[in-house]
Amino acid sequence: MSEPGTESAERIVRALVAAKVEIATSLPDSWLTPLIARIEAEPSIRHIRVTREDDGAGICAGASLGGKRAVLVCQNAGVLLSANALAGYAHHHQLPFLVLAVYRGSHEDTFYYQMYKGRVTEPVLRGLGIPHHVVDRVEDAGVVGDAVRESQLARSPVVVLLRRAALFGEPS
Amino acid sequence: MRRSTAARVFAEHLAADDIVVCGLGSTARAWREQKAPHLTYYASDPMGLGPALALGLALARPERRIVLLEGDGDLSMNLGVLVTIAGAAIANLRAAVFINDRYETGGGQPLPNAGRISYVMLAAGAGWPWTGEAHDEKQAERLVPALLERPGLGLLALHVDAEESPYPADAGPTSQSEDRAVFQRRLAGGP
Repeated sequence: MSEPGTESAERIVRALVAAKVEIATSLPDSWLTPLIARIEAEPSIRHIRVTREDDGAGICAGASLGGKRAVLVCQNAGVLLSANALAGYAHHHQLPFLVLAVYRGSHEDTFYYQMYKGRVTEPVLRGLGIPHHVVDRVEDAGVVGDAVRESQLARSPVVVLLRRAALFGEPS
Repeated sequence: MRRSTAARVFAEHLAADDIVVCGLGSTARAWREQKAPHLTYYASDPMGLGPALALGLALARPERRIVLLEGDGDLSMNLGVLVTIAGAAIANLRAAVFINDRYETGGGQPLPNAGRISYVMLAAGAGWPWTGEAHDEKQAERLVPALLERPGLGLLALHVDAEESPYPADAGPTSQSEDRAVFQRRLAGGP
């Protein structure tokens, strides 16, 4: 039996590679440990660790400017922190990239201090005009590749919010 | 040293195929005034993210040298990026910080702790392998080539005078996304 999260991480990284994502930036969350470890191990992806999530957005935007596809991996707190960056790259520069954000603060969570993030993340994204999708199951990891294509077509960052079940659940 | 002097020294020493990423405000104004032929992307807003964008471009284009021209207001908004860039251990990025200790375009208000910040110490402490500091034109003439000719990452701090830098009277002929499209076309070898 594999370590928890390994199956999901493998599916997500395979989807990123298939979508020609070559640069990843990340700031950890405990739920993201298997995914970030798998990205770090992926030879076709250059992985950059950041000190703030909006720096990750800026790096992804710069990569996009240079013709490469990129992803920011973070917690949804990082999406909230990056609101100005996401809006600027979506509406001002029109530079596409993917954001994979673990969706803390819902019924799956066990920490009271995460809960506010679950309440405000989607309303903030709607307010910013940033397309987003919620992935509930491991089997739906293919949305990641669709979201990369959507970001290219829309010339905008696209956010995929990953629930715990999508990261650690067993495929049915 | 006037900011236009610092910008001129860069224009004179950059290689023809260098790419400039320029932060916002008076640094961008000084670089535009040079009318240098180098392919340039003005990072504009979001403020504070010019260095990250330059790093992303450098990662995407390892065959080109990327030169970031940045203001101290922009950099001080996000000093953590110095750690991120050092950690990326990237060979084709160089950074210059124009230091005037104030938010010049925003009205000349002082930066917090203005005049007592050492950007070279901050960069060195973050792990940058090379830093330099120019207080006048003579030092800039010596250190800009040193920054450009070294084999890897480096940051040069250039102290420039406080000058007027009012907002432009009109919005300009093109939008940011139009400028982005032109930049990408030229980057791909187009006109």
